[in-house]
Amino acid sequence: MDPVAATLPITGLLLAGSVAALAASLWLLLPKTSDTANSRRLGFLLGTGALIGFAATGRSLGGVGEDAVFLTVAGIAVISGLATIVTRSPVYSAIWFAMALAGVSGVLLVLGAQFLGVATIVVYAGAILVMFLFVLMLAQPSGMAPYDRVSNEPMLAAAAGAVLLGLLTLSIGRLSAAEPPSCCRMPSRAQAMAAATEGAASEDDRSARLIAPATAGVESVDADEVAHLGAELFGRHLFAVEVAGVLLLVALVGSIAVVSRGEATENDHRRESR
Amino acid sequence: MIPATLLTNALLVGAVLFCLGLVGILTRRNLIVMFLSAELMLQGVSVTLVAWSRYHGDWGGQVLVVFVLTVAACEAAVALVFVLQAFARTGRLDASAWQALREENLPRVIDHGLPADDRVVPTWPHLSPAGVLPEGDDSRSLERDHV
Repeated sequence: MDPVAATLPITGLLLAGSVAALAASLWLLLPKTSDTANSRRLGFLLGTGALIGFAATGRSLGGVGEDAVFLTVAGIAVISGLATIVTRSPVYSAIWFAMALAGVSGVLLVLGAQFLGVATIVVYAGAILVMFLFVLMLAQPSGMAPYDRVSNEPMLAAAAGAVLLGLLTLSIGRLSAAEPPSCCRMPSRAQAMAAATEGAASEDDRSARLIAPATAGVESVDADEVAHLGAELFGRHLFAVEVAGVLLLVALVGSIAVVSRGEATENDHRRESR
Repeated sequence: MIPATLLTNALLVGAVLFCLGLVGILTRRNLIVMFLSAELMLQGVSVTLVAWSRYHGDWGGQVLVVFVLTVAACEAAVALVFVLQAFARTGRLDASAWQALREENLPRVIDHGLPADDRVVPTWPHLSPAGVLPEGDDSRSLERDHV
């Protein structure tokens, strides 16, 4: 008997159980009026079990790697992400989000995207998150508000999120379990470019070497990663970079315009009433 | 180039982050927390894009993540301005404060059983008294005893 077919019902049961456990755990953890410390503890236990179940499902469907570093940073990212959405206090929520960013940055580094790993920390944790904290401290200086203690439809949303995650896990597991045969798999761009640039490689032109994507085997770390990314960004995508710059300028001007226009109308109103 | 198992793991992490952000943006009522959840979804998508990019040895995915960062910065700036304007009008960071904008056939959200006092009693450590009790300070009342 086919071993994949034999393990499939067990895997399906495990996946269904994980989906149910994750939904229940999210529902228990989300802010409600009737929650107690015990229900939160139960929710945390259920959530941990559900995440282990998802990992086991992914392993039996396609194989979760044994890379300890990756599992650590991924665990930090996922658990901090969970804490971001279930923490009552919005300030703690923002701090947990910074922790999740650290985990995501670690994942990107493990994947070999060094520039993006650092840029995530610099741009998100250094700029965007600080802006969120400014607004939070400005607008809610007394701390936790009553509307932070309740959620909109926590049960339906938790079920929707858990089911979506189950479907995604299933499709990702199928993806790695059933690798398409090489006859009908599209050749990756790296292979195509490698075949195209094979003749030109002997010239040892630095710019050609930079523009060519990473073709040197299976090593996960590329020493010239930033240079390659920069060459790609300012080579093929130069126009898009210009558009992004214009977008940044427009966002800056627009936000300042909205703020100052609001104040101006207020002043005008005061002047009229005077 | 990364092996296929690492690709699968990274895709799983991206999926988990995306779904957590989805649940957060659907349920939470604090506008700031909703935006944090949206950023969490963006992070999940970024992980997925980078994983595929490294798997195929193509730089397009990473370039796309650079633009995601750019757009996220713009979005945060503009959105925070609107959040501040909304706060100036209602005095709350509550999404349900704007439920007058809901569709006509939907019922009104009414909060039942909310705690009247949202203060959390702080638990101070028990220290043995030593020295002279200091003078009271008027500026103490401005400090926050919880976040």
